[in-house]
Amino acid sequence: MNSNTTRVVAGIAVVAVAVVLFAVLRDDGKSDNEKVEEQTKTEHTGANGAPATTTIVVDKEGKPVGGIAQLTYNEGEQVRFKVESGVSDEVHMHGYDIGKDVKAGGSVTFDFPATLEGVFEAELEDRKEQILELTVNP
Amino acid sequence: MSFFLPLAHALVARKDLPVPAWLFAWGASLVLIVSFFALSAGWRKPRFEDEKWRPLDERFSRALLGYPVQVLCGLIGIFLLGFSIYAGLHGTEAPDRNFALTFIFVTAWLGFPFFSVIFGDIFRPFNPWRAVGRAVGGAFGLVAGQGSAHLRYPERLGRWPAAIGLLSVVWLEVIYGTSGGVAVGLSPHACAVAALVYSAYTLVMMGLFGVEKWCETGEIFSVYFGMFSQLGGFGVRDGRLGRRLPLAASTHWATVPGSAAVVIASIASTSFDGAQEGALKDAIIQTFEWLSETGLSLTASLRLADTIFMAICFVGVGLVYLIGVRGMSTVRGAPPVKELRRGFAHTLIPIAFAYLVAHYFSLFVFQEQAQFGYLLSDPLGTATTDLFGTANNGIDFKVLSANAIWYVQVGALVIGHVVGLTLAHDRAITYWGNYRQAARSQYWMLAVMVAFTCFGLYLLSVANA
Repeated sequence: MNSNTTRVVAGIAVVAVAVVLFAVLRDDGKSDNEKVEEQTKTEHTGANGAPATTTIVVDKEGKPVGGIAQLTYNEGEQVRFKVESGVSDEVHMHGYDIGKDVKAGGSVTFDFPATLEGVFEAELEDRKEQILELTVNP
Repeated sequence: MSFFLPLAHALVARKDLPVPAWLFAWGASLVLIVSFFALSAGWRKPRFEDEKWRPLDERFSRALLGYPVQVLCGLIGIFLLGFSIYAGLHGTEAPDRNFALTFIFVTAWLGFPFFSVIFGDIFRPFNPWRAVGRAVGGAFGLVAGQGSAHLRYPERLGRWPAAIGLLSVVWLEVIYGTSGGVAVGLSPHACAVAALVYSAYTLVMMGLFGVEKWCETGEIFSVYFGMFSQLGGFGVRDGRLGRRLPLAASTHWATVPGSAAVVIASIASTSFDGAQEGALKDAIIQTFEWLSETGLSLTASLRLADTIFMAICFVGVGLVYLIGVRGMSTVRGAPPVKELRRGFAHTLIPIAFAYLVAHYFSLFVFQEQAQFGYLLSDPLGTATTDLFGTANNGIDFKVLSANAIWYVQVGALVIGHVVGLTLAHDRAITYWGNYRQAARSQYWMLAVMVAFTCFGLYLLSVANA
């Protein structure tokens, strides 16, 4: 009985310590999130505050120059990017399910609100070549 | 030159966001608290060794287990397998547009575990190979006037064929589908061919060793789904359906050799799938580059690199468990190591299930919308049929918010951890009649479970990073 009481007291002590830890860690988490927000905001606005558009260049082999582009937004923001393609194909933004045809040497612009949370890919549909990874945080 | 590993599952148009740091901390702390409580507030008599099986109403039981329903379920199983193979062979090669891949790898492969943990072994009546095997066996009996003779199954092999089979299925799903050094996912055609090969292999094995024997030991899907069904609250005993204490049936599951390997293979393969795009990504790419520099083709290099890391996952998960078993064997009054190894294997089933939920829950919810939407109306993906008027339905990604997915993921791991500890504590009390020794042995299992759960949380927090 006595040792049981000790155990329960020890258990409660552990809970108390952990709750304090939670609070501390959670605060940290929030400030992390805010930092991310700030970063993404600066990323998506140009020098004079106008929205900047990322350009993804696709070479003549149908590969994205510099690798798969990474774009990160928060939900509700406007996603903007431009694809300049060296090949004719359909650029397909998965998840959002937006497809736009592009001709070799031409370009297409995407401009849509980030309404779905998650990580999505955009690819050259016929070549099955991924050119963009779009991350939308809540 | 750099390489990219895009989505391994060509099915999903969407990946989960990594669990944020604060939730990771919450989850891990919760696990530790729960564990401390488990140590201090344990019960002293085993509670799960007896299933407390109680029969359900006899008419209900007879109707559900009677021949007409068995035949019907068997036919449904055979039809769905046959149709998947047909769709794989003759339908579109776009993985997400073909009935075959979603049905086999999402609806069945994930659906049966998800529902078996509640209802018990629901795959058994629908098992297409078992249905064919029984029909052939029955026909043989009628013609020959005697039962068919079988080879004696080497008992030492136990469930090892299923454990290796389980790794092979996941290998096929996440590793095989590569093209020129890029993971493109399994093609519907390859999936259909694999299903045909597996069907032939299974029917031969059933012919050799008997239908029920092979289902218990070697048939991958029976053993794998059957493992999760041990947690479920319904079971058949002496031809009668009954309710049982949830979790309790699992305490007698691992008596067959190789059972520990099955549950370890399950944890390891889910870990690998979760880690390949996150925690293990860089290591895999490095190994891949190194292998391709030795002159191997890009496809072979990527497959080999993935295979090596999947094997490492299996060995790693196995080692953690074996260290726990070793540790327990040092506690006074411990049964032999061999007995311990078998005796605690079932305590990992809840962990394996938690891993499944954490990694595939969102995929299941999203992809089932495709299954019962456009894949039902246009199963071949040829845009020529619209059987139920749902061919143009899409997937609504808004049904689950990122936050909801995170809570389910972390919640599943924490609950799996608690259930695993519960079963381990219960088994320890059975082995060590003395409560003190039992509790001492459980420091080891506690360490094993904390390791698995925190590793699971870690995988989620670095997913796709």
